[in-house]
Amino acid sequence: MNTPVPAISIKGLTKDFAVTLRGVKLRAVDDLSLTVEEGHVFGLLGPNGSGKSTTIKVILGLLGATAGDVRVFGVPSHEVESRRNVGYLPEAPYFYRYLSGYELVRFYARVCGVPRKQLQARVKDVVDWVGLSKAADRRVGTYSKGMLQRIGLAQALVHDPKLIVLDEPTAGVDPVGTAEMCELILKLKQQGKTVLITSHLLAQIEDVCDRVAILDHGKLIVEGSLQELVGQRDRQALIVDSLPPADIEALRGWLVSRGHALNAIEQPRARLDQLFLSKVSRGGHAGASGGVGSNVVPKSSAPNTSAPVAASPKPKA
Amino acid sequence: MSAVSVPFSFSRLALIASNTFLEAVRQRLFNFLLLLAVGLVASAQFFRDFNFGSSELKFIADFGFGALVFFGSALTITTTAQLFFSEIENRTALTLLAKPIWRAEFVFGKFVGVFAVIGVFCALTIGLMMALLWHREGQLMTIDPEAFASGRIVRYGDLFIVGVLQWLKFGVLSSIVLLIATFSNSNLYTVVTGFFALVICHLQYLARDSWSNVDNLMLRVLVQVLGLIFPNFQLFNLGDEIGQGAALDPLLAGRVAVYAVVYIAVIGGLAVYSFRNREI
Ligand SMILES: Nc1ncnc2c1ncn2[C@@H]1O[C@H](COP(=O)(O)OP(=O)(O)OP(=O)(O)O)[C@@H](O)[C@H]1O
Ligand SMILES: [Mg+2]
Repeated sequence: MNTPVPAISIKGLTKDFAVTLRGVKLRAVDDLSLTVEEGHVFGLLGPNGSGKSTTIKVILGLLGATAGDVRVFGVPSHEVESRRNVGYLPEAPYFYRYLSGYELVRFYARVCGVPRKQLQARVKDVVDWVGLSKAADRRVGTYSKGMLQRIGLAQALVHDPKLIVLDEPTAGVDPVGTAEMCELILKLKQQGKTVLITSHLLAQIEDVCDRVAILDHGKLIVEGSLQELVGQRDRQALIVDSLPPADIEALRGWLVSRGHALNAIEQPRARLDQLFLSKVSRGGHAGASGGVGSNVVPKSSAPNTSAPVAASPKPKA
Repeated sequence: MSAVSVPFSFSRLALIASNTFLEAVRQRLFNFLLLLAVGLVASAQFFRDFNFGSSELKFIADFGFGALVFFGSALTITTTAQLFFSEIENRTALTLLAKPIWRAEFVFGKFVGVFAVIGVFCALTIGLMMALLWHREGQLMTIDPEAFASGRIVRYGDLFIVGVLQWLKFGVLSSIVLLIATFSNSNLYTVVTGFFALVICHLQYLARDSWSNVDNLMLRVLVQVLGLIFPNFQLFNLGDEIGQGAALDPLLAGRVAVYAVVYIAVIGGLAVYSFRNREI
């Protein structure tokens, strides 16, 4: 076989839910076809109720497909075998309250068949990696939302899967945690993992995804690489010191004389999340150990697409 | 492409079982069980100034077993439903079943965990009851040595066997509740239906007795079939003669135990079948 097996291949997936006793059906996913290649970070976007989580649950064999064919590394998704190389973080995750963080990750590691010899080291590594080592001896029942997402990521990664499926990993996580989560995802990508992530916070997805698909009412609306979809190669933003009106006119004249146009002039503003990131300390946060690089600003400078010459420079600290 | 399938694993089953047991421990269920067992046995002691002589011992044994049957049944139904639905309602089943595990491992893992919890309750109650009987028997022996001329009359070994049989019966009940839970949507529905099944299992022998002489063949067959589908819990009451010195027939006890194990296996299999395609 020369063509590599895609990490996920979905062909004509349809999923109906019986929502009333009379058998009225609700079509949550409608004839969806998607392919996620190995090594990509793939973003699944869409408004609430568009069928993102349903699609993911079918991929993981938690729901059966009404029609269509779903394969994970070439294995049909209803087979146990297909889940061997998959880590999953459910949306709004909730874990055994009565276990400590370590115990929880250890439990899932054993379920996934991590060899006993590596167990201890592996659990510790992955808990450190998500930055939760300080809180890992506490009962999961006492965790905050963001900490639950982190421990959820740890349990999804503990058996070193090739494919990681994250359903809204940043829901309820603060901007600092979100930025860290994005870094973690980028690190996973560097390790050659395939990541499928859903979100409706578009700016975040933009920072990490290679390809995105947008669902609406269970139907695929667009799919493609980020460059294809939102790249604007024909425009640029220049950021300069404040100019008096006369200079601006002179500049405009100079541009026009060379056959260019000055499309817009705006006052750049710092984005609120960047302000937040620069003011809030990282590290002692949420029991996080600051294990994830300590002063990294997300590489987002997400262009504001509505304003052609808008700029969003990093705030001067 | 490696097509090695994931084999059924007893160690994963044991892992799920021990996690279920741990949940019961950490949710302080055992504090309650201990309290219950002590309360039950202490209230048997409360009747001790009846001073029936050796029949007082039978009273204690009967009372103890009555309490075991009653509270054990209630406990079995509620814990089975609770420990199963805590996974579904807290959505922890979502994470667990997305791992490479068989649904059969999950269902039987839950069963074994619950069965162990009930085992602890049975052991506590029977153990305390035996201690009380031993203590009281010792007292009576000094008061009325003639009645105990040939030594102790309570057969502690039989008592233990009857306790084990009750435990197996609760196992059958637990598997029935688990089967109901696999297709039911709520804890409450499961508990109510479970109690209903309990009553049928206890009373089905009445139906079998009174309908077996009916002329209508169809009806007779129907009653026989129902009698097969629902296990007969009356079979497990071998403890009536204990305390009076009558010996337990070990062959009968063995047959009842096999009866229970067969029902657990078959009903458990049905539960796995029904859970196989459940949407989580
Ligand atoms: N178990 C279920 N029974 C009936 N309907 C369901 C079930 N699960 C999901 N649905 C319906 O399917 C549709 C898609 O739901 P889904 O959870 O996949 O949306 P989503 O894209 O993940 O939304 P969100 O962004 O809010 O998480 C919704 O209309 C939802 O009501
Ligand atoms: Mg969702």
